[in-house]
Amino acid sequence: MRKYAVVYRSVLMENIQYAANIAMGFFNYFVFIFIFIKLWEYMYRTPGELIAGYTKEQMIWYVMMTEMILFGSNAGSVAGEAAGDIRSGNIAYLINKPYHYTLYLLTKYTGEWSIRLPMYAALAAVIGRVMVGPVPGFRLTAVWAMALCVILGLTINAVFKLCISLISFWIEDATPFQWLYDKLILVVGVIFPVEIFPKTLQPLFKLTPIYTVCYGPAKLIVDFSREKCLEILAAQLLYLAAGGGLMFLIYRKGAKKLYVNGG
Amino acid sequence: MQAIRVENLSKTFRVRKKEKGMAGSFKAVLHPQTEEIRAVDGVSFAVEEGEMLAFIGPNGAGKSTTIKMLTGILYPDGGRIEVLGVDPTKKRRQLAYLIGTVFGQKEQLWTHLTPYDNFRFSGAVYDLSERETEERIEELSERFELGGFINTPVRNLSLGQRIRCEIVASLIHKPKVLFLDEPTIGLDPVVKENIRLLIMQMNREEHTTIFLTSHDVGDIEKLCRRIIIVNAGQIVLDDSVEHLKRRYPDKRAEKMQTFESPAGHVEPSAIPLEEIIMEIYKSEGRDVSP
Repeated sequence: MRKYAVVYRSVLMENIQYAANIAMGFFNYFVFIFIFIKLWEYMYRTPGELIAGYTKEQMIWYVMMTEMILFGSNAGSVAGEAAGDIRSGNIAYLINKPYHYTLYLLTKYTGEWSIRLPMYAALAAVIGRVMVGPVPGFRLTAVWAMALCVILGLTINAVFKLCISLISFWIEDATPFQWLYDKLILVVGVIFPVEIFPKTLQPLFKLTPIYTVCYGPAKLIVDFSREKCLEILAAQLLYLAAGGGLMFLIYRKGAKKLYVNGG
Repeated sequence: MQAIRVENLSKTFRVRKKEKGMAGSFKAVLHPQTEEIRAVDGVSFAVEEGEMLAFIGPNGAGKSTTIKMLTGILYPDGGRIEVLGVDPTKKRRQLAYLIGTVFGQKEQLWTHLTPYDNFRFSGAVYDLSERETEERIEELSERFELGGFINTPVRNLSLGQRIRCEIVASLIHKPKVLFLDEPTIGLDPVVKENIRLLIMQMNREEHTTIFLTSHDVGDIEKLCRRIIIVNAGQIVLDDSVEHLKRRYPDKRAEKMQTFESPAGHVEPSAIPLEEIIMEIYKSEGRDVSP
């Protein structure tokens, strides 16, 4: 484990130099959130109105939290970098080290979001407090549970994105699959909570990673309950086990098919 | 004792073929065609512990593919490999602790970190304790004279300084075999010579087996006693550098001169090694052993 801790520390040291660059993305986040605040203010015509069981404040905080997860977790290392490594042959210089390539990438990714996410969380808290007000019914004592769900959600997202990247061992370009996955997560989970979709589709969505990646953690933040928390944590652990197993399997099969240009 | 043993090693790549133009692109989607390229074809050799071997060949000869199979990066289609008694196809991670790799054309260091942080990172990756890592960094930075830039981010180093750091990073865990893939590429003659001296010193003091590929004849002449030349995936020559220089001109008598001393001994040829190697490259896979 020590080697992964050192990878994590090295990524932190590397990324801390780019804190100012990360802050440049705050403008995009603000514009995005501003549009959604105005959109939902228009949709909620009367005070106290509920849409899909969410108050206006809850709905806006929900979007702010999912966008915070999305902006704060930039999955470059498990998406573009992994697929690029395989396509370019750069993976050859990484897999002959005494660590597991997939765990190495997941650790790098964790190091990256460890800088980004707190920055975006602080920004979201400020924008939310100023433009929307406090999260209704927010329980400070449950912050650890919310944080745990967010971290697990980020990790599950990375595992699935890495699985897609590893398909590059067989196909030329995994980007279209990444795009499909990203858009699925974006539309069904980030912009709208699952409850907004027809009731017949909701059980289906809850079976997908969407439930564990962003919907679950954001739902907990805006509407925390102990039962919901345990349900989401259980689903996340199941997804993590299944996704992790799939990731190791794809990698093991793919590494044997590795084609690297000579020199 | 043998550090590396390779028997009848082979590797075939399947490469996609596409006819030219847009029509060719559509055709390739509907009826994908592939071509098999035999990158390594029945290669066998052994390297003794502490030996410095030059494994060379023209571009596309199969030398890098062979190195990648020896280091566990690629899986062979056939044959057997043992590096320090370990089969790279089965125990890649175990092998990683025993070997070091330097790819001159590829940065393996974290460019935004300093060499010192990179070495600490390497030490942790190879499960060295903090104390062992610190001691090894001190020892190697003294030997490789890194003191002046060990705390400068790698991205700000010159190529020669970076290559020295790459070699140190690959030596941090005291590997028994070091694979050097064009370690002096792009370096000026003075830095090249410096790197060669350091490699020789390391071989002498730590008895490290060196497996070198290089297009620079100077690397081969200065470092290696033995040379293996591959072409078209096959070994075309496996000989000592000295013997090659003495004997090869005999086979090329029409083009090159051999010099016989009054006592009848064949003197080392005046023909540069580079020319001899070029002639052998042109053999395109035929055995040219003297």
